[in-house]
Parts: sequence; C-alpha cells; structure tokens
Amino acid sequence: MSSKKITLKSSDGETLEVEVAIAVQSQTIKHMIEDDCADGGIPLPNVTSKILAKVIEYCKKHVENSKKEDSIEEEDELKEWECNFLQVDQQILCDLIHAANYLNIKSLLDLTCRRVADMIKGKTPEEIRRTFNIKNDFTPEEEEEVRRENKWALE
Amino acid sequence: MREEHSEMSEDDERPPPDHGSGSIVETSNKCRSSLGIGYTADFQPPFPDQVLENVLENVLHFLTSRRDRNAASLVCKSWYRVEAVSRSELFIGNCYAVSPRRATNRFTKVLSLVLKGKPRFADFNLMPPSWGAHFKPWVAAISLAYPGLEKVYLKRMSVTDDDLALLAHSFPSFKELVLVCCDGFGTSGLAVIASKCRKLKVLDLIEDEVVDDEEDWISCFPETGTSLESLIFDCVDYPINFEALERLVARSPSLKKLRLNRFVSIGQLYRLMIRAPQLTHLGTGSFSPADLLAQADYELEIASAFSSSKSLVCLSGFREIIPDYLPSIFPVCANLTSLNFSYANINAERLKSVISHCHKLQNFWVLDSVCDEGLQAVAATCKELRELRVFPFDPSEDTEGPVSEVGLLAISEGCRKLQSILYFCQRMTNAAVIAMSKNCPDLVVFRLCIMGRHRPDHLTGEPMDEGFGAIVMNCKKLTRLATSGLLTDKAFSYIGKYGKLVRTLSLAFAGDSDMGLRYVLEGCPKLQKLEVRDSPFGDSALLSGLHHYYSMRFLWMSSCSLTRQGCVEIARQMPHLVVEVIRNVDEEEMEDSVQTMYMYRSLEGRRDDVPKFVTIL
Repeated sequence: MSSKKITLKSSDGETLEVEVAIAVQSQTIKHMIEDDCADGGIPLPNVTSKILAKVIEYCKKHVENSKKEDSIEEEDELKEWECNFLQVDQQILCDLIHAANYLNIKSLLDLTCRRVADMIKGKTPEEIRRTFNIKNDFTPEEEEEVRRENKWALE
Repeated sequence: MREEHSEMSEDDERPPPDHGSGSIVETSNKCRSSLGIGYTADFQPPFPDQVLENVLENVLHFLTSRRDRNAASLVCKSWYRVEAVSRSELFIGNCYAVSPRRATNRFTKVLSLVLKGKPRFADFNLMPPSWGAHFKPWVAAISLAYPGLEKVYLKRMSVTDDDLALLAHSFPSFKELVLVCCDGFGTSGLAVIASKCRKLKVLDLIEDEVVDDEEDWISCFPETGTSLESLIFDCVDYPINFEALERLVARSPSLKKLRLNRFVSIGQLYRLMIRAPQLTHLGTGSFSPADLLAQADYELEIASAFSSSKSLVCLSGFREIIPDYLPSIFPVCANLTSLNFSYANINAERLKSVISHCHKLQNFWVLDSVCDEGLQAVAATCKELRELRVFPFDPSEDTEGPVSEVGLLAISEGCRKLQSILYFCQRMTNAAVIAMSKNCPDLVVFRLCIMGRHRPDHLTGEPMDEGFGAIVMNCKKLTRLATSGLLTDKAFSYIGKYGKLVRTLSLAFAGDSDMGLRYVLEGCPKLQKLEVRDSPFGDSALLSGLHHYYSMRFLWMSSCSLTRQGCVEIARQMPHLVVEVIRNVDEEEMEDSVQTMYMYRSLEGRRDDVPKFVTIL
C-alpha cells in the first residue's frame, strides 16, 4: 500500500514531504487539497521550517495514536508524550499556537492554549503581565473600578 | 436545624493553590538542556500580543475558576473584553452587591448563573421571611440577556412561581435548576419547570420551603422520555403521585441521582430501585412501610434491590426508619463514599452493624442517638473520612446529651484525614478539642456547637478558650470556624493571632467585651463572612473594623450591644456599605438599641425593595 505524499513549503524556503494522512490533520491543508490547490506543493508563508517540523511531529503522533486501541496506558503515554512535546521556550510555544491557529489543527491549538492557561492559573494580574510581557493600558481609575467590581460582585 | 446543603458551601472547598503549574521558569530550565540554547531564566522574549489575542478566547476557555478569570480581566483592556464575552459561569456571592443590569452588561454569554441571597442566620428565624433576596429582577434581566442559559443555582433566594414560569419559558436549552434554602414557590412552579424545560437534566430541591398548591408536578415531565440525571425532592413535604413517579423513573434512562421525600414508603422504594439499577445517589424516603400494621414483608425484596445495586455510592433518606430494615443496605456499604443518617434515629448497636462495612466512607452525617460508642465505631472503620456532621436528636439545651468529648476524641484518633466537622453536643473538654487540632491537621472547617449557653469545659470548669485556640494554631488550612461554649476575649485573641486564613466565622453567646470582636477584625485579613449573635460587642468593636469592611462580603450582628448611633456612624464613614437595621415585623422604629444589624458592601447603594421592618442607614 503506497502512502500518498504531499509537499509543504515553509516560510524560509524549505520543503517537507509529508504523508497526506498526516498533513490533513490540518483543516487548512485539507481544504486546499480538496479544492485542488495542492499541485506543486502547498506554500505556508506563516510557518517556519523549524515549527513546521514540530507540527508535523505532533500530527504524526496523533495519526499513530488513532490507530491504536483505546486504553488507560495509551492515554497516559500520549499525555506524557504531549508534556515532553511542550517542553519548549515561550517563543516556540507562541509560534506553535500561531501555526496551529493558521493551520487549523484543533487538538494542537487546544493543547497549546491549555498550556498557556496553566501559565496564567494562580497568578495576579501583574504576574500575568510580566509572564507575557503585556502592557497595562488601564488608567489607575479604570483599573481600580474593575478591581472593585471583581472583588465586590464576583468573589 | 438539620443542614443538608453541603454542596454549595464555598468554605468546604479546598483553597486554591498559590502557584500555577507549568510556570515559565520551569520550562525554561528544562529547555536549557534539551535545546542547547542559552536562555537564562531572566530573559523572556516578547510573546507577540497579536498571536495571544487571536487565541485568547481559546486560552481563557481553560480558565474556569472565578479567581483566575478575575485576574485575567485586570491584565489589560483587551483581556478584559475577551474575558467578559467568554465567562460562562457567573457567580454572584451577594445578590445585593451588584445589580442585574451591571452584571448582564458586562458578561454577555453566560451559560450558568450562581446567585446567593440571604445570610445564613436567616435559616434560624433570626430574620423575618419577607426580608428580600428576590429572584424576580434577576430572572427578568437574564431572560433577555442570556437566551442560551443552561443552569441556575440559587441559595437563600426568594423565588416565586412566576419567576419559575419565566425561567421555563425563556431558556430553550435549560438543563439544570438547583434551589438550596429557597422559599416563595410551590408545586405549581415545579409543574411549569417539569413540563416546559424539555432538556432538563437536573432538578435539585435542597432544604427549600415549598408550598403545596396541590399540583401533581411529577406528572408534568415529558411523556416520551426525559434527560433527567438528577431529581432531588426530599424537602417537598407533601405526598406525590407515586404511579407517576414510577413511570417517570422508568422513562429516565440517564437518572443517576434520586432523593425521595418521606411520603415514599419502603415498598414503593423497592419498585423504584428495580426500575433504576444504575443509580449512584439514592435518598430512600421514609424507609418504612406505608402501613405499619400490614406487616408486608419487604425485607427480602428491598435487600435484593440493594444487592443488585452495583453503582450506589451515596445513600441518604431514612426519614422514618424502622431499624429492622437496616441490614438490607449491607451489600452496598463497602462501596459507599457518602452516607447520611441525620434523620435516622438509630442506636449505637444498629450503627455498628452498618458502619463496620463502610471502609470507603468519606462523608458521614448522623444523629447523636448513636452516642459516643457509635462514633467510636466510625473512628475504627472509616479511615478515609473527610467530613463528619453529628446532629442533635433533641436540640433542647438542658438534656444530658449522648455524645461528648469521648466521641470527638475517638474521631480525631481514628479519622486522621478529616477536613470538615460539625459537631453538636451538650458537653465538651478543651483536651479533646486540642487533641483534634493535633490529630487532624487537614481540617478546613471546624464547627463545634456546645448546646446550652456559656458552657465551660465540663471536667475542668475552665472556658473553652484553649481548645479553640489550639484549632486555629494547629490547623493551618482552616478557613471556616464556628465557636460555642464559655469563651472569654482570650479565645478571640487566639483567633486574631493565628486564624490568618479564616474566611467564615460564626460566633454565638461568646466573649467578654468589645476586645473580643476587635481581635478578630484586626487580626483576620481573609475574613469574608462574620455572623455574631448574643454576644456583648458594642459600637466601639464595630468601629474597629472600618479598615476591613469593604473586603468582607457581610457582617451580621444580632442581640449584641449595638446602638443606632454606632450603626449610623459606620454608614456615614463608609458610603459604599449598606447598613441595614432589622426589627421584628411589628416593632416600631425609633428604638435606640439595635436588635439586628446586617451590613454588606454594594456597588449599587441601597436596594429599592426594602420592607417596612428594615431601615437602611
């Protein structure tokens, strides 16, 4: 049985040959194939080769996993694999989210977003800002009003 | 005073962890070796705002605790906006702290509303019933704002049949209604809910006061089949149409939780159990035959029903138990994690026969009719016990009392994982309470009710200061405390000094002087809910808490030594506090001493539904 392959072109000019079954984990790629836009390879200007490689690694694992039987051992193994998969620095995590969003891979998007949510849990607003380098654009009065509303009404 | 509503008490929950898991520092450390790239722990490359904003709603989807959502809403304006449109559970701890309009303006896609109204002391007739906490303005607002609403949880609210009708007609996807300690509605309201909420999964009525309009509400559920997973109506204290109930259970294949009222006999229970072998939670109803003289032998049948019950983990009811039937539950005991005998007047022997099988028990509610001996049996077997409640069979204040420090000590020695205890007794010693403080370090909730006023340690004659002091000192996770017995200001100095995590405090007949209350108000930074009755605290104590009142959900003081001037002064100094002086219904205003004061912070100022017997200062 031959497995059909497709060529993906990353933003930095590299090409990657990937089995179709793995590539179509991305709804974006799937639609392009269905719409017959895939001849000569699929350009992905928003994804670098490094990130693309990681994304493909993820999709490959998921396709492999779907072929196995459901069991608690398999679930645990997948969880551990996903945990290792996400042992990356914040920049790569950010790039993975961007890629998962663009490529429309829901399970990868949920996984990476869940990781970001874990980074938010238990933190104060200032700690969250520092973690993600976000500027506080509330005026002191606005911030105080939200703080009061949260504390008095919603706690 | 038999409280059954543990489900919605926030203070029985575990406190949230201080640090989120998977922090950036951890991943950076790990990546240093795995990627061979020299990121130090300090350098954090910018997380492009744009990427995060695109997916922020997806990220926030995984934040469910209101603490985390509140923090996220304060990060910056765009996070505030995204959080506001994505919060799906809206929790309002005091219905008068915020208006329905303000809440619905900010949060636009709510699926689940949790709303709390009256303070807890309202349960003990310390407040006239028509005080307020009306669901009406809220249901009017949400019926327009949240057409997709699925769940409503109300605690201590006044709910009318009209409110229930509006609910039933406004929300086509409605799935769960939980009413705890509510009043103002009747069986006609229930009938509308049953017939109009076609997707209903949960109808839980817990300790509500339900009026009998003689509506056969049980017959009103959809004829073709229901999605019911939970039906709890043990507080609906009127006969129901049993044949209709039997047919309802038969056409509710998803039903897992069923709690019957006392008008369901043991023969009828049997018929229901064989129709619903998949039940996980069962409230048994009366657990006695309908006709005591008929001598129909249900023992074999009911025993076989329990034998076939592989999934039961939670058992309650036993409202009018005939103890001879008790052995029929033996087959399920080994699997039980929760057992509620608080209506079962059984003695120690009977309890022992049951409890010796209950190795997995985590929640246990019982009447003091089982005596210290019964509690010793619990301690010997129930090593996994997390929550214990011992209720008085005879709540009058001058009886000898069947449970004492002996039972408490035994529990503390046998049940080391205990997290929550409510213990009514007539006599107690400091030594037993001190022992519990050392043996049960995981205690989060400690509520000791030594009935009778100002009772000292009955062996030493001393006040109970040292006992309660040890609890706050040794139980480092304690968030809820209720005191009783003879207590001097010293007990409160301990609470103020050590009770740094205490959120809910309940005091009755306690303390010598204003200093007692001052210690607490000055020492407990996390205090949210303070309810005080019949204690000698006056205006100067009240004034010592000004720095803290905006951080509290409420303060209740009844039968203390407050004067009108003192309350007026508080109201003057703290414009966002609503200070209510509550009289008995037929009393005149112009009294100088204050019978009951209830005060709470509010974003809205005074409420517009004030009854005649309440003055807002």
